[in-house]
Amino acid sequence: MAKAVLLKKTLFWIGVAILLFVFVFPIAWIFVTSFKGRVDIMVPTRIFFIPTLENYIYEFYKMPLLREMKNSAIVTVASTALVMAVSLPAGYSFARFNTGEGHLLFFTLTTRMFPPAVAAIPFFFVFRNWGLLDTHMGLVLLYLYFNMSFATFLLYGFFREIPEELEYAAMVDGYSRLTIFRRVIFPLIAPGAAITTIFCLIFSWNEFFFGYIFTRTVARTVSFGLISHWGSVVVMWGPMAVGVGIAILPTLIGGWFMQRFIIRGLTFGAVKG
Amino acid sequence: MLTQGDEAKVERAPIVVGKRKTVLETLTSERYIKWFFLIPLLVVLGVFAFYPLFYCLYMSFHEAILIRAPEFIGLENYRKVLHDSLFWMSLGRTAHVVVVCVILEVALGLGIAIFLNREFRGQNTIRGLCLLPLVVSPLAMSLMWKYFLDPQMGIINLMLSWIGFPKIAFLSMEGVALYAIMFMEIWKWLPFSIFVFLAALRGMPKDAFEAANVDGASSWFTFRKLTLPMLKPFIMIIALLRLMWLIRIFDPLVGTTQAGAGTETLDWYIYRIAFIRFDIGEGATLALIALYMTIIIGVLLYRQLIKALGAAR
Repeated sequence: MAKAVLLKKTLFWIGVAILLFVFVFPIAWIFVTSFKGRVDIMVPTRIFFIPTLENYIYEFYKMPLLREMKNSAIVTVASTALVMAVSLPAGYSFARFNTGEGHLLFFTLTTRMFPPAVAAIPFFFVFRNWGLLDTHMGLVLLYLYFNMSFATFLLYGFFREIPEELEYAAMVDGYSRLTIFRRVIFPLIAPGAAITTIFCLIFSWNEFFFGYIFTRTVARTVSFGLISHWGSVVVMWGPMAVGVGIAILPTLIGGWFMQRFIIRGLTFGAVKG
Repeated sequence: MLTQGDEAKVERAPIVVGKRKTVLETLTSERYIKWFFLIPLLVVLGVFAFYPLFYCLYMSFHEAILIRAPEFIGLENYRKVLHDSLFWMSLGRTAHVVVVCVILEVALGLGIAIFLNREFRGQNTIRGLCLLPLVVSPLAMSLMWKYFLDPQMGIINLMLSWIGFPKIAFLSMEGVALYAIMFMEIWKWLPFSIFVFLAALRGMPKDAFEAANVDGASSWFTFRKLTLPMLKPFIMIIALLRLMWLIRIFDPLVGTTQAGAGTETLDWYIYRIAFIRFDIGEGATLALIALYMTIIIGVLLYRQLIKALGAAR
């Protein structure tokens, strides 16, 4: 009997080990690879090697990685701030007043599903005429469009969890709707808003398609910068590993702290993970 | 003679607003407040959703290449697209990716979720670690796997050679490359279905399972008659969300095959027509066709989401 339990336990932990290996090892290995020198990188399985910073030095001094990180950071933060300014009141309106009887909310959600080309084609020409191609402003606007519907829908779910009775109490006290939103609802939605904010930051940071089409050099984002690591003949694996590692590090940290909410966010609030 | 009700009316009557309300007061009044909160969203929707939609609709009836003035050609673009074998091939590939990925993710995800559905030491840490692929940027992921799958210095090929397999250029072999792309997608998104199912399993009412246990039902029977029906909405949500995301699969191709070796998907085809060939008319037509397909899925998904949100309330 005890033997069977022990066997079961061992099998379970072997299974967990396999899962961890599959999901974590590739990510960890990229960070290990980024410290490998020119020779060591040719031998992918070499675990013991003398770590070197040459790839990092190359990335930071010879490649525009620092500028790209700055670009990504500016665009990510600015667009997320705009998204929250648009989505907080909208999510509240949908949740409390059922504005548009669900049709408007549905339309908002569908914009998230638009193939990116639907927006990219017209705005490429609009932005060219307005001089917004390859600027931070242009990308901020596109990311606002890209994240707004997601944020609205997620916040809609959070707002629905706030009991209406609280507002009635405040209304009896003579507060106006705007004051109620600011003083009563806002503190209650703050945790949900924080989760939504981090999601928007991660999505904007990871976005590639719009960055690829709408930027060239000045406002080039980290994701776009990554693909410049291979020419027609050679791939600079070492510097590329550095770039990949740095591009995914912020989202890994964000994801680690958000782990309780990732499933909830990705399912638009339908599944509470 | 005044009744009590009339008296009340008389008393309430004098409350008349003397001065005219300002615009802000009107907007924030009980009647319009819900639209007031929506103003920013409506502006953004107007600019970023309605305008592109009508632009694409307009362009889909025009011949517009590069910056030449668009010329009306009726349904010619649609005819061209529907007779275009490259379009159908890219659509077929996308469908292939969708079907394989969704089936495998649901099946594997459910299996692993059932396997993990118990209390064990360090479960939160392990869960957090397994969720990490979800936040990795798709482009960084594609480059990562380009390195791992490389025929010369890829770790996967090296491991295969230990057990006597020949080296395989996964990303440049016709017929294999598309499966390599699917593999990357599944690697990234499997944690999603695992943890959706795990959340679903943990949220299930215990008494039904206890009753089945008392009645001596076999575990396969319990799974088929109890677990699976209760999981159905979650399977729907996973399938529809993944379907929606996979239809626009683009990023994983950029770092790996660049649509070579028979991996050109629908979104890459649209990208090529619209932004490399700069045939705006045809590109817009393709984009709209992709949009119609996603909207159909969207309608189904939305119903499931609202249902799930309603149930969770």
